[in-house]
Amino acid sequence: MKKYEHIAEFGKKLIAFNEVESVLELIADEAKYLVDADRCSIFIVESEDKILWTKHSDGIGRIVLGLETGVVGATYDTKSPQIVNDPYKDERFLANIDKKSGYMTKNMITIPIFNSKREVMSIMQLLNKKGADFDKADLDLLTFFANYVSGSLELVLLSEER
Amino acid sequence: MKDNRYMKLTEFAKELLNKRSLEEGLPLIAKYVKDVIDAQRCSIFIYDDENNELWTTISDGIDKIVIPADKGIVGYTLKVKKPVVTNDPYSHEAFLSKIDHETGFITTSIITAPIFDSNRNIIGILELLNKEGGFDDEDVKFMIFFAHYISGFLELLKSYLKQEDMHEKV
Repeated sequence: MKKYEHIAEFGKKLIAFNEVESVLELIADEAKYLVDADRCSIFIVESEDKILWTKHSDGIGRIVLGLETGVVGATYDTKSPQIVNDPYKDERFLANIDKKSGYMTKNMITIPIFNSKREVMSIMQLLNKKGADFDKADLDLLTFFANYVSGSLELVLLSEER
Repeated sequence: MKDNRYMKLTEFAKELLNKRSLEEGLPLIAKYVKDVIDAQRCSIFIYDDENNELWTTISDGIDKIVIPADKGIVGYTLKVKKPVVTNDPYSHEAFLSKIDHETGFITTSIITAPIFDSNRNIIGILELLNKEGGFDDEDVKFMIFFAHYISGFLELLKSYLKQEDMHEKV
């Protein structure tokens, strides 16, 4: 219940922002808080260019991925959330990114964010839940949260196009 | 794209986010969408899946109207799970002309859109009546966008309600 209260307060802050960067940063911070994760990146789908990009990835700057790469790509492809609690044993996992950044991914959850046309417009990726693995409760809460932010995200992406 | 329809949304959302229940939120949503689409009436029906009913508040936000979930254009929308537009309701198989007869209101055009929750279940139906010249494709697009835009806010209010109901029963 406390978490839903928190989301309601977060929602009021969210609609006060009208540029993509700040919206993404705010969403990432709230998502991390909700499931007690160390990092959050929100990838935006550019379906024409067949890429995913993220402006906000905490420590390591901008990342651009092919639409079909990594666990994030699999989330786009299947339109379903993914929980990967042992990434180095998952063939979809991009160990290269850890190598470059020096960051050690221990577990991961990804959630698709749909636009009003039911296309995947974005993917939320959270890394390293503190002291535990990601579970069904995290997945349910983040699924709700992804839908909660999706309208505002769609609006801000639309207004950036113009 | 009629820009101002979209640009006013955040102002509206600010107001909506201060509401703490569906009963308070629904009249606000209805008024907003009625004004931006320029329709004569708007109702938002909330789906009660346990009782297979749809309910809506009337203007004061206290009294409710309850209808069976399989009736009328709204019930039809619930069944087909997508927007329904008719600019000739009397020739639509699902339209209940009985209600017009009872109320004296004459329905000339209808547009609806389902509102989905995060698990892709329908939580409600938006319905607008009577636009001069009829509803068009832009209206359908906006209704789809708008139904999605408010869905998270509605789902949150609906889950609060459930919690409150549970507290009352305990």
